[in-house]
Amino acid sequence: MSKLAAKIALVEFRPDETWQHVVIADQEKCRRCPDKNCLRVCPSGVFAWDNIPGHPVLVSYRQCIECGACRLACPEGAVEFSYPHGGYGVVFHQG
Amino acid sequence: MMSDWFKTKKPHKLPTRAQPATDAPAPRKYDAVVVGAGPAGASAAYFMARDGLDVLLLERGPFPGAKTCGGAAIIAEQAHELFPNFWEEFSYERIVTRLDYWWLSEDSAVTAGFTSSRLSAAPYNRLSVKRKNLYTWLAAKAVAAGATLLLGHHVAGVLLDGYQAVGVRVAPPQSTDYLADLVILADGANSLLAERAGLIPPVTAANLSLYAKETIALPPATIEERFCLPPGQGAAIGLIGYPTAGYNGTGSIHTFHDSINISAGMSVSAYAAGGFSPGDLLERIKKHPRIQPLLDGGVTTEYGAAMIPEGGYHAIPPLVHPGLLIAGDAASLVNGIHGINLAMWSGFYAAKAAFEAKKNRDFSIRKLSLYRTLLDESFILQNMRTNAKAATLQRDRPYLFDLYSRLANEAAYQMVRAYPMPVKDKRKFIWRKVTSLQPVGKIAADIWQVLKVVKG
Repeated sequence: MSKLAAKIALVEFRPDETWQHVVIADQEKCRRCPDKNCLRVCPSGVFAWDNIPGHPVLVSYRQCIECGACRLACPEGAVEFSYPHGGYGVVFHQG
Repeated sequence: MMSDWFKTKKPHKLPTRAQPATDAPAPRKYDAVVVGAGPAGASAAYFMARDGLDVLLLERGPFPGAKTCGGAAIIAEQAHELFPNFWEEFSYERIVTRLDYWWLSEDSAVTAGFTSSRLSAAPYNRLSVKRKNLYTWLAAKAVAAGATLLLGHHVAGVLLDGYQAVGVRVAPPQSTDYLADLVILADGANSLLAERAGLIPPVTAANLSLYAKETIALPPATIEERFCLPPGQGAAIGLIGYPTAGYNGTGSIHTFHDSINISAGMSVSAYAAGGFSPGDLLERIKKHPRIQPLLDGGVTTEYGAAMIPEGGYHAIPPLVHPGLLIAGDAASLVNGIHGINLAMWSGFYAAKAAFEAKKNRDFSIRKLSLYRTLLDESFILQNMRTNAKAATLQRDRPYLFDLYSRLANEAAYQMVRAYPMPVKDKRKFIWRKVTSLQPVGKIAADIWQVLKVVKG
């Protein structure tokens, strides 16, 4: 079990289809960001980029485990992180 | 008999309550509303409700503990002071009788540990716990004492009247306002509420650590065999050096009844600097030749990650505000590996301050400052003050954990080797090996700095 996708598949998520709790409001900031820490720091691979300059950073909020590290790691302050609405999001069972 | 200890534990069922409809009339005003049903929030709610206050406890997860993970062991003796014989009331995992520290290099480990059957008698030293079981039990206690618990309620903001907190606003789907004389924020490490209300400075990537964990299922007998444990007893192992890939951070192994929780983490800024993810650290540890055999054949059942405030004493934000107190992780009350206990005690002190404020019908900063005074006089802040410089030390010497783990392993390796040379020459040889990794003057300076921090 080393592939992140396989690990993410083990986690229970109750995604909110009507509201996205982590967003990048201004992709312009990401375009000029040389580090893109979000791509690596996020433990559940929420952020994805196709390595083509000018293309946006995609946010797969449905697999977010709600640690909130992205907003701290982003040097541009571009990640707007909030928690999902009540009853939605990740559910941990194993402690 | 010990082998059957877990069968006598009954899982606690949380009483279910009807959720208020969105078009319900405006709810009544509470004495206190507590945000977050973790160890800090649920303890505060329990002690306030026990003292006769009208308490509302709001939790955004579908059950307490659903939104956090990692570890964990509870220091039984400290919790016992607040909740006598609490281990009889919920389902813990194992009685920790083996405590180890492993300093790892890429292929070896220097270890120090203590194991004793003296730790297996009540009041226990540490009990490994699943957060879900511990938090659910604690919240159920608050409910039994008279508090109202609402699950699936995410608090989006604090309601302010000028500077005075007067309640909280719950996000959709409920979209309700709850009014209260006192708001207690126990919403965890990433306390967006306090930050957004302008009550605390924004938390920083240097002060918050990100830990990833994996739960790996193994038969109880296999766990006991691999960790040399009597049935029902458990181990907690701190992993230093290699796990965090050259940065200051820690890993840990906790044994549960039929699984192992392995975790690793370091500050968010270290990940940003290193260019890898917490999941990478976990994979690194799992493949280590000393650790892989412990996990062999196990099945990963859950992956997760969470942040822990590790800024220490100097990172504690202002905790007392007009009509509002901050407790637990949200208050940055984590001292090394102690977090759950500090959270429970801070909840207890917040409840004491709340009771006095209610009695005097005075929820000003002046009255509520009793919370900070109680904390200051308690072991919580005294211990955090003692360790106050540890965070700075780690920041100033980012090589500390990794370099000295490698150095210890190299020295130990050369020591256990038997060379065809006189012992005197061998000692010189080892000395040269060690000082080739770090000049002797720098070693002396590092030791001096560490001693200064340890001495407090």
